[in-house]
Amino acid sequence: MKGIEKRLREEAKKLLETGSVSAVLAFRDGYDGDHPVPFAARDVSDADAIVFNEYCTHNLARYVTEYEPGTKIAIAAKGADSRALVVLIQEEKVKRDDLVILGIPCSGMKDARRGTVIDEATTGNTVNPVIHDIMLADQLPEPDTSPYSVLTDLESRGHDARWKFWRKELSRCIRCYACRNACPLCYCDPCFVDQTEPRWADKSPSLESNLMFHLTRFYHLAGRCVDCGDCSRACPMNIPLYLFHKKVAKECEEMFGQTAGMDPEETPVMVDFKVEDSDEILL
Amino acid sequence: MVKKIEHDRIQEIIAALMEKGILYAPVEDEEGVNFHLVDDPARVTLDFYNTVQGPKCAFFPQTEELIRYRMTHEGADAAEVEPDESPQVLFGVRPCDVRSLAIMDELFCGGGIVDPYWKNRRDNTTIIAYAFDTVDTVDFYGSFGIGAADDTGADILMVKVDGDLLLDARTEKGTALLAALDGLDEAAAEDEKRFAAAVEGAGALETRRIDTDCVARDLPGIFDSEFWQTEAAPCLNCGVCTFVCPTCHCFDITDETLFSKGRRVKTWDSCMFTDFTLHASGHNPRTKKHQRLRQRVNHKFSYYVTNCDVISCVGCGRCTRFCPVNIDIAGIVERARKRASSQQINNQ
Amino acid sequence: MKNPYMPMPVTIETIITEVDTDDIKTFRVVFDREEDAVAFQYLPGQFAEMSLYGTGESPIGIASSPTDEGYLEFTVQKAGMVTSELHGSDEGRTIGIRGPLGNTWPLEYLKGKNVVVVGGGFAFTTLRSLTRYMLDGGNRQRFENITVIYGARTPGLLIYKDELAAWEKRDDVETYITVDQGDENWQGREGFVPTICTEVAPSSNNTVAVICGPPIMIRFTLPVFFDLGFSKENIYTSLEMRMKCGFGKCGRCNVGSKYVCKDGPVFSLAELDALTPEY
Repeated sequence: MKGIEKRLREEAKKLLETGSVSAVLAFRDGYDGDHPVPFAARDVSDADAIVFNEYCTHNLARYVTEYEPGTKIAIAAKGADSRALVVLIQEEKVKRDDLVILGIPCSGMKDARRGTVIDEATTGNTVNPVIHDIMLADQLPEPDTSPYSVLTDLESRGHDARWKFWRKELSRCIRCYACRNACPLCYCDPCFVDQTEPRWADKSPSLESNLMFHLTRFYHLAGRCVDCGDCSRACPMNIPLYLFHKKVAKECEEMFGQTAGMDPEETPVMVDFKVEDSDEILL
Repeated sequence: MVKKIEHDRIQEIIAALMEKGILYAPVEDEEGVNFHLVDDPARVTLDFYNTVQGPKCAFFPQTEELIRYRMTHEGADAAEVEPDESPQVLFGVRPCDVRSLAIMDELFCGGGIVDPYWKNRRDNTTIIAYAFDTVDTVDFYGSFGIGAADDTGADILMVKVDGDLLLDARTEKGTALLAALDGLDEAAAEDEKRFAAAVEGAGALETRRIDTDCVARDLPGIFDSEFWQTEAAPCLNCGVCTFVCPTCHCFDITDETLFSKGRRVKTWDSCMFTDFTLHASGHNPRTKKHQRLRQRVNHKFSYYVTNCDVISCVGCGRCTRFCPVNIDIAGIVERARKRASSQQINNQ
Repeated sequence: MKNPYMPMPVTIETIITEVDTDDIKTFRVVFDREEDAVAFQYLPGQFAEMSLYGTGESPIGIASSPTDEGYLEFTVQKAGMVTSELHGSDEGRTIGIRGPLGNTWPLEYLKGKNVVVVGGGFAFTTLRSLTRYMLDGGNRQRFENITVIYGARTPGLLIYKDELAAWEKRDDVETYITVDQGDENWQGREGFVPTICTEVAPSSNNTVAVICGPPIMIRFTLPVFFDLGFSKENIYTSLEMRMKCGFGKCGRCNVGSKYVCKDGPVFSLAELDALTPEY
């Protein structure tokens, strides 16, 4: 990781010196080294504050939509981050040419708050960035695990048991919207849940309103979620949102034969229609 | 007069407290240890550093019914949901969180109009504080003159020492409650000494500190500064900080109607949300996230001081611990103070 | 303990559509309970939360004057959920109000002074309350010269048309009504409110200006008054903010350390200058 940090700083300096980008999205130290904070380096002098370690788990693609279209941005992108960038490119929220993608192959990232190692159970298994301009380390061997094996337990339970599980989990939601706000693909302004005419969900975190929010969000992300796991890590209540996102992603892949965020030339499945598409949902 | 009970018998005391009123205590759940309404003594635990959320839910629940109504031809039939007056016990509250309640009293009970929902519950609650016996690296409650075994605002102070829980009343309410709990043993002279030693030991614990002198006066001076844009850059504008904070009090009032019946509720809201200040006309004084972060910090460390003479923060560290991007409010205030200072020097 | 969240029931007696775009209406309401009517003591400048069960509440300035006995009037612009529901209501519907809330126009400070009332478009409701109050019977002698300058974009958008006409006929108030753009029937003045202010050129000597209007009007009107020599202590305005509780606890409507619902909505420009510029 130290090697990556060094290279990240070097590349950031170069890019900022030549003025080819307005900002380099990376990380800096937080109140201690185990709690890094997403950071936009703008000056060459900022580059020295850049860090990269196993706690730099945040999906920096989240910040791309905050910039004016046309702004040139460099971004430190891990595997899932790069897939999020692909979706943003597919959805025309950012142009490929406006990005300098500093790819970071990595695995074994850590969740400081929970004291756990992050693996494909709670995030995808994309260890190598799927697009990049500059790779900051050697590619890692592709894992032979599936990002969906964690679903086996839930899938083996019957309908009633699963409904009971999600009712329990979603009734604990306090509607802080950390999940939505951490997601690089929840960029709608306004979000449906904030609208008053019509009001889709009540303000209070009753089960009915929480279901309305979460189920709608899960489906708004169908074919778009890149399994970065930031939503679940952001949740102060430890709700395993990744289980639902992964299930929707898995079904989408099976029905439409396409994985979210792999190829900028593709169109997201929910925006596209092919004659050979499954019509399971219609029957 | 100290009372004691072995920590292993904690369920007995919890069961006894449940008979005295509605009991809020730390309970182990999927999110970690958090204050919950207790229905099963077995779930209460004192094995934690601090709870996920503060104890304000015991007085200011996330959803509070104010009025129930039924639509009619002429308008609606409506009935007030009367503010609760049931006796309550709040068990296992860390000293910084106990202090948060007095800070909230300034708002809910001050300014001419009293919020009866808050006040009734506060008047009818007995608070059992739970002293810290360690510090962590995130808390900064020492900055506000709060000690690890501070009993300000508590009716009973409890310490955990060598497998025993030692409780000492601090108010008449506390004395009355302890006297009414049969399961507690009278403490021996030695226990009194252990209690005193634990309190003294806790008194020596030092959290990190920020300098709060003049912060209230100086913060508005850097209102226009780019400082806020830099500090707010990583912020996601979710509401985690406000919802785990023991002193955040912003709320919404909405009507929830299904067909013709409904209720008017008060619910927690957050100044960090984009639509918090959005007018029906579409105008929004705070469209940018740095304006919202600036509002939160200024409200807690400056405006609240102007209006209520106290900083609306107790240094519990929760916002820092739970912020998805690790924003540290103590750091922001420290840097703001330095910025304000240097700006003043530059202006001279 | 009184529950400040509980509205008092009132019945809508009459609804008057004020403008030709139909989106501003004046609701005259009467308290259902005598004790509420007696307890509701207000002064011009204050507002109330109008409550419609099933939809919500909206803070609306009180447009009637306390000298109008037996009823309250609220002039409401249709904007969001609650105001739309209100606009769709019929006479005879029971709704609720909470109040009176907020501070008042500075009546003590205005005593013995000339008062210039300046309003634009919809922003004239609590100014109308103030003017009615000042012109009423025994009150009139407490103030020196009263000047009213009020304008709207077109004649159809002037509110309180009958009242404006009545004021024009009085000799104890100088009334200047204007429109940005007249129509074929309009016989009166044409010109933007700031321009008319320049023409009227009220003296700043022992005079207080009370100004409400849309931001664009304020932006051009204030310099006129500064040029005329009005100090910031002698110019008052009323702010609007998104509100919920209306009494300074929900934390939503603050400008700096002041809550617009409780420390306002009336502020002098000098007071506003001391606050953080965020409205």
